[in-house]
Amino acid sequence: MNTQNRQFQLPAELEAQTIIERISAQLPLGKRIEERDLLTYYDSFDWRLFGSGMELIVRRQGRKRTLQLRSQNDGGLIESLTAGTRMPVFCRDLPAGGGMRRALDGVLQMRALMPQVELRSRITTLPVLDDEEKTVARIAFERHAAREPGKGKFRDVPGRLLLLPIRGYEESFERLIGILLEAYALPPGNEGLLAAALAAIGRIAGGYSSKLDFSFQPEQPAASVAREIQLQLLATLELNLDGTKANLDSEFLHDLRVAVRRARSALTQIKGVFPATDVERFKPELAWIGQITGESRDMDVYLLDYDRYRTSLPQRLRPDLDPLHDFLQAHQKSAYRKMVRQLNSERFRRLLADWRDYLQSTSTGSDDAPAALASIAQVANKRIYRIYKRVLAEGSLINADSPAEALHELRKNCKKLRYLIEFFQSLYPKSDVQPMIRAMKQLLDNLGLFQDLEVQAEKLRHFAHQMVAEGEVPVDTLLAMGMLVDGLLRRQAEVRLDFGSSFAEFSGSENRKAFKALFAGKTEAA
Amino acid sequence: MKIIGVYNIKGGVGKTAAAVNLAHLAARAGRRTLIWDLDPQAAATFYFRVKPRIKGGSRKLLRGQRDLDRLIKGTDYANLDLLPADFSYRNMDLQLSAAKRPGLQLQRLLRQLSAEFDYLFLDCPPSISLLSENVFRAADALLIPTIPTTLSVRTYEQLQRFIQDNGIDGVKRLPFFSMVDRRKRMHLDILETMPKKFPELLATEIPYAAEIEQMGIYRQPLFGYVASGSGAASAYRALWQEVRRVI
Repeated sequence: MNTQNRQFQLPAELEAQTIIERISAQLPLGKRIEERDLLTYYDSFDWRLFGSGMELIVRRQGRKRTLQLRSQNDGGLIESLTAGTRMPVFCRDLPAGGGMRRALDGVLQMRALMPQVELRSRITTLPVLDDEEKTVARIAFERHAAREPGKGKFRDVPGRLLLLPIRGYEESFERLIGILLEAYALPPGNEGLLAAALAAIGRIAGGYSSKLDFSFQPEQPAASVAREIQLQLLATLELNLDGTKANLDSEFLHDLRVAVRRARSALTQIKGVFPATDVERFKPELAWIGQITGESRDMDVYLLDYDRYRTSLPQRLRPDLDPLHDFLQAHQKSAYRKMVRQLNSERFRRLLADWRDYLQSTSTGSDDAPAALASIAQVANKRIYRIYKRVLAEGSLINADSPAEALHELRKNCKKLRYLIEFFQSLYPKSDVQPMIRAMKQLLDNLGLFQDLEVQAEKLRHFAHQMVAEGEVPVDTLLAMGMLVDGLLRRQAEVRLDFGSSFAEFSGSENRKAFKALFAGKTEAA
Repeated sequence: MKIIGVYNIKGGVGKTAAAVNLAHLAARAGRRTLIWDLDPQAAATFYFRVKPRIKGGSRKLLRGQRDLDRLIKGTDYANLDLLPADFSYRNMDLQLSAAKRPGLQLQRLLRQLSAEFDYLFLDCPPSISLLSENVFRAADALLIPTIPTTLSVRTYEQLQRFIQDNGIDGVKRLPFFSMVDRRKRMHLDILETMPKKFPELLATEIPYAAEIEQMGIYRQPLFGYVASGSGAASAYRALWQEVRRVI
């Protein structure tokens, strides 16, 4: 039986001392303890810990750091760890087999821990005593200030008064609450400290997510919807730019590239909403961003997959692969250097500025953009249904003898379809759209894996040649890489076998009916 | 939940001091810790300034008519709770023997706490009784403070025999030297000979120290009032490290 803390707002003008004197007239209070605290909340850029109901609090003590993983709900300690002089950034930096790593691994995945907000606190705690001088409850006065991690001025966070119960002394706790509330009409405070600290510096937890979250009305003109989508994607791109350039973790670049792919898809697939000349102007420029970021992403992917590659080999051959890791790291570095130069270039800067200007300019409707003023529901229905039919047609032509290119082509159209449905899902009932997205995701995963495995195998062969050309490479390494290529191609063949069932599910009559009903406006007679 | 019984047939060997200080150390490391003062003398309860009284006494508790949960008191220390002693505990043997499987009653009772705590310390009364047997069967480890005297060696052998004769095999015996006075010839002799005879003996010794006795004056665990560099404090820290490693 655990009684909860009671939290109140502590107005700045109300002195702790005044309250203490008032309460001590009715309840014996013990010696006050003054504590100062300085801590930093850490999370990934996209708030994965917060999203999973956790908070990571880091305190520096001399040269060491203590990490505490706490539950958002009740502040309960989930795991704690004393780290060395270097703050762990990735899960792999945490002690293997330790509880902290276990708790964070699945949540954080490849993302880096970043300082989010720094909190400075002054806490005065007084025990309420019984006649044995045993503590039966506590009163804590908290004054906090927050700032951006490591820089800027501390800003006041609203103060809090906490009443903390001690188990088994519920009566004393109720009495304390009664005495306090009789003397002061303090408003209750329910906000968590992290949320309050972020609010003080003008931010919110969960302020970034790579997921699309649009909310459109069916009657909205298509051009304005297309602009809103593009502006949102541009914002995502820009938000990930600093992290990409600094290579804080691989997800910044990944999210940036996904935003660009979605933007390209939106630009060409939401047809007739922008004048064709404008589409032609920005299309190659957005494609250019894809190109200049491609090699870096490739290297990231191989490095992320490296452990899997390595463990796919027989145990005693694993060390043979290590020179590949060195190669990948070196090439990732140089790829990033090259990419960052481009991202810092005048061309890139101008492109983003022009694109934003264009999207924010008010001109709508032109002879060259026939669908600009049509309702978005009409445009969305038409485009989605058309691409859907194309996917069906292409997919049903694929058999065991079809070339790999046919599957690659199908994947492209599938992706277009998925993006369209994701952009516009707010126009449709969730219960109708979700199962479609799921079926499509399964098909896309299959097609994606098929293509990735082929590309990876091809690329590994290419790396082998490159390694030979660049200098001495042990024969054993090349042999190990050959085994990897073999493994990848075998898996690709297996994945190909699954295509039939994935596509059958996607193209099944249930799903067909659902697509038709939702996007073609008619229900088929059962 | 790991259950650690702190036990000796003899009284006055430093049981309560060990139970209280080790429990406090576990709690300070962030582990949710409970100490159950099973001794009607209520020394541990006294150290924590809690009133030695539980509603309904041990009878209702053993019959399952009272949730253990509702009898637990928070101490003045984070993560550290206490199940207080009660004078009725002196009759626990009678009450236990009235139950169906008298040797397993405590084990059954403690199950309800297993999700809530990481460590449970049982501060046991001296003597060898049905309650002791219950502790042996419920605990993962038995921590046995042993004063280095010939008599103590004898009682340890007695305990060993009892455990073997009663087929209790799930409990680790962890004797350690307590109240060691290196000025005494006999202490030095036993410190030398006993480890050879009993390899399970822990390496840490708790010295005889006025600081430890003062727990009763301050009514606090040792770490509440001594400097962290004190010899006694270091000894308990080393002991806890060693215990944690073996259980």
